[in-house]
Amino acid sequence: MVNLTIDDKQVTAPKTATIYEAAKLNGIKIPILCHDKKLKPFGACRMCLVEVEQMKGRQIPACTTPATEGMIIRTATPDIVKARKMVLELLLLNHPLDCPVCDKSGDCDLQNLTYEYKVNSNRFTDAKFNHQIDYNNPLIERDMNRCVLCGKCARICDEIVGFGALTFIDRGIETKIGCEFDDALNCEFCGSCISVCPVGSLLARPFKHKARFWAMTKHKSVCSYCGTGCNLTLGVKDNKVLTTIYDEDQGFHKGQLCVRGRFGYQFINSDKRLTKPLVRKNGALTESTWDEALELVAARLKGGSSVAALATPRLTNEELALFKKLLVENVGTKNFDHAAGYAHAALTEGFVRSFGTSASSASILDVQKSDLLLVIKTDTYETHPVVGFEINMAVKNKDVKISILSDKRGKLSKLPGANTLVHLPGNEVVILNAIAKTIIDEKLVDASVAGVTGYADLEKMLSAYSADAVASQCGLTAADIKKMASDYATAEKALIIFPVGQAYPGHNADLASAAANLAILTGKYGKEGCGVLCLSEKNNSQGAVDMGFYAQDGGFNAAQILDACSTGAVKTLFIAGENPLVSYPDRKKVKAALDAVEFMVVSELFLTETAAMADVVLPVCSFAEKEGTFTSTDRRVQYIKPAIRAIGQTRTDFKVFADLISKLGGTAPVTAAAQFEEIAATTAGYKALSHVSLRKDGAYAPATASPALVAVQAVPVPAAETGKLSLVVGSVLYHSGTLSQNGEGPMHVCPEGYIELSRPDASASKIAENDIITVSTTNGSMQLKAKVTSRMPAGVVFAPYHFSDAPINTVWNGAAVTSVTLAK
Amino acid sequence: MNPITPIINGMKITLKHMFMKPVTLQYPTERPKVSQRFRGLHGLKVSHSKAKCVACYLCPTVCPAKCITVEAGEDANHDKFASVYEIDMLRCIFCGYCVEACPVDALKMTGEFELANYNRQDFIYSKERLLEK
Repeated sequence: MVNLTIDDKQVTAPKTATIYEAAKLNGIKIPILCHDKKLKPFGACRMCLVEVEQMKGRQIPACTTPATEGMIIRTATPDIVKARKMVLELLLLNHPLDCPVCDKSGDCDLQNLTYEYKVNSNRFTDAKFNHQIDYNNPLIERDMNRCVLCGKCARICDEIVGFGALTFIDRGIETKIGCEFDDALNCEFCGSCISVCPVGSLLARPFKHKARFWAMTKHKSVCSYCGTGCNLTLGVKDNKVLTTIYDEDQGFHKGQLCVRGRFGYQFINSDKRLTKPLVRKNGALTESTWDEALELVAARLKGGSSVAALATPRLTNEELALFKKLLVENVGTKNFDHAAGYAHAALTEGFVRSFGTSASSASILDVQKSDLLLVIKTDTYETHPVVGFEINMAVKNKDVKISILSDKRGKLSKLPGANTLVHLPGNEVVILNAIAKTIIDEKLVDASVAGVTGYADLEKMLSAYSADAVASQCGLTAADIKKMASDYATAEKALIIFPVGQAYPGHNADLASAAANLAILTGKYGKEGCGVLCLSEKNNSQGAVDMGFYAQDGGFNAAQILDACSTGAVKTLFIAGENPLVSYPDRKKVKAALDAVEFMVVSELFLTETAAMADVVLPVCSFAEKEGTFTSTDRRVQYIKPAIRAIGQTRTDFKVFADLISKLGGTAPVTAAAQFEEIAATTAGYKALSHVSLRKDGAYAPATASPALVAVQAVPVPAAETGKLSLVVGSVLYHSGTLSQNGEGPMHVCPEGYIELSRPDASASKIAENDIITVSTTNGSMQLKAKVTSRMPAGVVFAPYHFSDAPINTVWNGAAVTSVTLAK
Repeated sequence: MNPITPIINGMKITLKHMFMKPVTLQYPTERPKVSQRFRGLHGLKVSHSKAKCVACYLCPTVCPAKCITVEAGEDANHDKFASVYEIDMLRCIFCGYCVEACPVDALKMTGEFELANYNRQDFIYSKERLLEK
């Protein structure tokens, strides 16, 4: 800490702080345009000039000057104010005075400063710019006439997003921010540049002209897409969520969002939302009343174990716990599951046997504190973009090394120094076992392993997995595997990251245990910057696991439930928010099961393909209309409260389950807070938590690891037949599950399903970009648009699973790798 | 006093006033000449055959009676315009703040004061009705 005097006030600040940060920390405001908490100091705008007693005679930029011991700083002397006024005059010289039509008005740093410093006239005259405005994409509008060249957009795109779409081009008075070759913007549209722009140069087009900043009420919430648990501020007017507002003080990610979080909110107020309960009468779904619909459902729920349920992990913890209570206590069934029954296996089976707890042994904050990241699948960036940003920052700013094990290249493999091993798909466990074997052979095992059970078994099992023996099977060289092993084992701190989800059936319990084995063998768990981080797919996937909403004690899992529907063992199926017809593997089988089941009730926001087959459809609320908690992938429990009133006649799932419990003769807690008290009392790690304590920032639910080494045999992947390609499914950056299909932003950037193939494969089958090709497997065939990229290795094709119009489960039966033939 | 005198005096005044120029305005046959500063019905000014209003939302912001509804739209040239501009005359208090707040001089208050109507709905003046003729 250093002691200094700012405006006659004695203050202390950390050694690393700049004058600006020291002042801000102590509540002294210095005006600035080019500074953001997350970015490195830049010194572009010259608004933050201050006088320092020790450096008399010149004005010092506060944002780039480190605070040192004994500094005496004045932030608002008449000279300084005069200088700032001139800076503003010079900025306003070329800045168009179009505040009435500029969407930034009201939230504009330049406007606020001009008002604050009373810059009413300008001593200088110059022509305004006449740059062409970029309207080429539907999400980000770039008007360089308003730009003040603070460089924040270019810096955030480079430093955090790692895309580098924007940069300064031209020189002198002609300088502007532009894209490569001064072309249209074509990036991943995360909108980070919009969030930091101090003026109206970069604007969100989905929000354009919708409302003024001051007319909206701001509601803090938590993003409902992936498991990262990013915090959002929703801008609400007239019971409509109009935008997400940037707040650099929010969350571990400091307000940073991805394309889904920033541009995917439109599903909340979508016209397609269901507003009234629907009941099937004479074969058609007709509008009905809640009383009628709930009576029907309650009557059908009295079936004991012939009732089964599937829930989406987008429900709150309270709703999942109450749903489980309804099923177990009032209905009397153990047949319930979430996430297709396998997407949570890494946690509920893998981590349970390896760490004794169904939670990751690391948090997202460990990413930047580590020395080496071992990332399994480059898809980590696509499934959890904000974790991807953390990885970018770790590698670029903290010199963290990154090793990637993936079946294709991706954005992460472009990071400086990234060591990417592109292996034949489906061989992750084999390679992890080979790495474990190398660690044992090269005596890199940590001393702490002596007290861990299962070492002898593991060593015995691993004898078949020497790097030399398995390398060719995985399409790698033994030296590569050995290098990755020694890199991992010799790093002081190392973190293993892998995503799970419905599209990643290969990321199962075995993969989790194989990864955990590495951490346990080298003693890299339970410490800062170490551990195994399993990135769960949906916003409350970890919560669903913590609430125990999965098949246990002989209950049917999702696949068994669907089988039982077909055989008639399950007569009533309650689907809360899932869309199995699109997101579960093997569409034919799912369709047959849903057709066969006697009675199906779906509670949903939209009339999805699954809901359209139901006997009763209950319209329920989105996350913006309800109270509860979400648990992020690293067990951060966060509180959400309603930002808008329920739309139409929709009710929260909580209310639906509570009403059904009362109809079945039970008693349900009245409020979500009361339900959470129950959860806190019975769930490991949630003990000290309550809605009141979570209101502000949320809290981590601690998990204690008791390690065990588990010998996991790799399931051999059948070699691709000649002439066939290996299909791997996955998530695409802009989407999450099937919900993001109702977000305008994601649908603008990635509107339809596709199949991505390598250049050699494309030229071999004479397929060009955007060709419609027929993809066939033993399961069926479908038509998809081709996308030819250089990131795919030859022989491997990739397809995202989110799209109702091009459901990849037509050809995909849930295998980690599927043999496909492509034909034009 | 003669009891007839007061009646005659009274009749005198009555007769005098019968032939005097009347003090009150003979509305509706006679129309008042309203002052330039009179604050009557709003008018949206027109320039280059379209409304000058750029839908900046300052008038609904400043309006103390919250009677102005604006919705902005984007035209083919990406210019901002008011796709909806409505004033609820039942709530308007004719303070004129909206005119004062307008940064582009798009709004005025006309001399029009005959705002009576039969239906409540008719008091909500849409953009078409407000555009100056």
